[in-house]
Amino acid sequence: MSTTDEITHHPLQVAKRLEKFRPTIFTQMSMLAIKHEAISLGQGCPNFDGPEFVKEAAIQAIKDGKNQYPRGYGVPDLNVAIAERLKKDTGLIVDPDNEVTVTTGCTEAIAATVLGLINPGDEVILFAPFYDSYNATLSMAGANIKSITLRPPDFAVPIEELKSNISKNTRAILINTPHNPTGKIFTREELNTIASLCIENDVLVFTDEVYDKLAFDMEHISIASLPGMFERTVTMNSLGKSFSLTGWKVGWAIAPPHLTWGLRLAHTFINFSTANPLQCGAVAALRAPDSYFVELKKDYIAKRAILVEGLKSVGFKVFPSNGTFFVLADHTPFGMENDVVFCKYLTKEIGVAAIPSSVFYFNPEEGKNLVRFAFCKDEETIKAAIERMKKKLKKK
Amino acid sequence: MNSDRVIRKEEMEGKLSRAAKKLTSSPIQELSHLAQRCNAINLAEGFPDFPAPIHIKNAAVSAINSDFNQYRHVQGICQHLAKMVKEMHGLDIDPLTDVAISCGQTEAFAASIFATIDPGDEVILFDPSYETYQGCVTMAGGVPIHVPLDPPLWSLDPSKLLRSITERTKAIILNSPHNPTGKVFTKDELETIAGACCSRNCLAITDEVYEHITYDNQKHISLATFPGMQERTIITSSLSKTFSVTGWRVGWAIAPASIASAIRNIHIIVTDSAPAPFQEAALTALRSPPEYFETLRREYQSKRDYTIKLLAGVGFKIQFIPQGSFFLFAELPDDCPLSDVEFVKKLILKAGVVAVPGQGFFHTNLSSDEVSNASCNYQKRYIRFAFCKSEATLSAVSEKLGKLLDTEGRLALH
Repeated sequence: MSTTDEITHHPLQVAKRLEKFRPTIFTQMSMLAIKHEAISLGQGCPNFDGPEFVKEAAIQAIKDGKNQYPRGYGVPDLNVAIAERLKKDTGLIVDPDNEVTVTTGCTEAIAATVLGLINPGDEVILFAPFYDSYNATLSMAGANIKSITLRPPDFAVPIEELKSNISKNTRAILINTPHNPTGKIFTREELNTIASLCIENDVLVFTDEVYDKLAFDMEHISIASLPGMFERTVTMNSLGKSFSLTGWKVGWAIAPPHLTWGLRLAHTFINFSTANPLQCGAVAALRAPDSYFVELKKDYIAKRAILVEGLKSVGFKVFPSNGTFFVLADHTPFGMENDVVFCKYLTKEIGVAAIPSSVFYFNPEEGKNLVRFAFCKDEETIKAAIERMKKKLKKK
Repeated sequence: MNSDRVIRKEEMEGKLSRAAKKLTSSPIQELSHLAQRCNAINLAEGFPDFPAPIHIKNAAVSAINSDFNQYRHVQGICQHLAKMVKEMHGLDIDPLTDVAISCGQTEAFAASIFATIDPGDEVILFDPSYETYQGCVTMAGGVPIHVPLDPPLWSLDPSKLLRSITERTKAIILNSPHNPTGKVFTKDELETIAGACCSRNCLAITDEVYEHITYDNQKHISLATFPGMQERTIITSSLSKTFSVTGWRVGWAIAPASIASAIRNIHIIVTDSAPAPFQEAALTALRSPPEYFETLRREYQSKRDYTIKLLAGVGFKIQFIPQGSFFLFAELPDDCPLSDVEFVKKLILKAGVVAVPGQGFFHTNLSSDEVSNASCNYQKRYIRFAFCKSEATLSAVSEKLGKLLDTEGRLALH
């Protein structure tokens, strides 16, 4: 992205690493939605707020004066709470001070991990469709990205294709489970296969598990808990999705000390530390009773049902989503040439915003039939969106 | 850890990126841990131990209660900054295009570096300098080139600067008011730097976090106000030091539109958004009346004066009075046989007070011809004291040091 064209009298260029960058689809679609007063089922951001007990804990921290730099790799209590949570969820026992790093959301965990552990030219495997920041971050680090596509209807991992793409030249593989945008949860069988390929070829694994508490139809499994995997895995997560506080930006990366060291260094230089009072809120969150998570799941399962049934009755072909708060739907019954055209039409003429999936692929063609709907909205909002679509969206 | 894990650990260490291997962890943070273990009074880390302003805390509490807790970009911050920058510096900026909100100045700086520095680009830094700048430049594949400021007044010798600029120089980093010395770069010095940037077509990236903490009626002048500079300067700053909320992580970069856009793109990749409730509270902070800033200056000045009197009184050599920031760079007395590190360790263990040995702020360029043991000796003679502490804390320091004085009233730690 050269700026020489824009201001001719001083050829100051921005760095080459930004050449492949595209403005994010989320911003564009959000602006369009606002302009047309569309109901947004686009961005993965709840329109309801987080739980009182978590907000109270953060407020108390502000009042108690926890407003200065916390320890760079995390408020000690939070590191402990994260380790406790991991033990409860996976059985893994980690050292809070040497194996847990608090970051500014999972986004920064990914950035720190990639900048700390990936060299320019390193080969990294990514599963498409992928959350768009993975590609951007890996490009920023100069990685050589290999994409393997998960295909409908069940988005299963194509094992043979994976085997032929992974080799001793592969530095790392990035896994997002439960998976945005498909809602897929990687099965134990798939993870075992990936694990043995990684061990055989000495490959690192970076996992984004932010939707781990939104695993509805099957168990969420952390690959780090499989035999031989902890020492080569960075397990990343955050507060945002589990506690409907996406704007707090409290995340973490869990990894053995020799991997933690690299990601911590990068974290120090790009961010230094994460907001102190909000980390204190996170401590309360992670110690939430089981009932909180049971309610959360129940709630989201109900919302998913409303959305999925609604989309089907409108005429979409809906793919089964086992987790996250996203579903992918095939829009081709409505006769538009691709997902971007469809989403723009849906926003402008029908008044509902969704995200065109082609942006989640290297080859946009692979996603042109699919759109992503989010159900992290209150039930009234989802119902209202379905109503609008029922009224005006007609099959061809 | 069983032996399997030990072997694999060594193999795994080979997995660090080249950039990460070159970096070392923050010495300031390590000292802080030692001080914590010894329960020492912390005059090392640059954050206040007195409460943040109540009107700003209330704004944050209110934001959390009012559900400002999802991903947000608070455009109002950009508008307030445009107003402040106009009032303070006479600069006209477009709040819609020229501002990138970030997670603290740390991220604004990192994003600015990643947005502009390609591998091999040279970046000039004035020594002594805050340790993070170099680490960031290195991570982006840039080459840090250090231009020493001359003790005891930390003045800029123009010939040293001009000699260090090559055709590979992409940017000059300027931190003023300055950490660790408390120097506020003079108009002449700024003119020199601006002239060099313009004539050699470099960018300037400034760290102005202490912009509101200046003394003796000194005004902070932004490099961007010099002719030809606005179009090539990235100003970075934050709420942290001005509003005593170093733990909130809200900062910004102000730059010409195309560069601000690039910085924003990096920010979106690295963190995506600054903490939402604190962005909201930033609106209240940035609307603080002039009295707030006057009081801030006045109170820090009195802390500065107290600290100088105290340390000079027990034997430190203070030839340079800080004109800004909340740091004092004090020199060990000539007859003190200890290095800065040895002295600080004793200070922690014997006096229960911690400060930062100055050597961590000095860097020697391998390419520099002038480096000799003699000329660099001063690099181990300075200690940085932070005086952003309550009166009670500063009095407690006075008391602790008071117990360790020799017959001439000088600090004796052996």
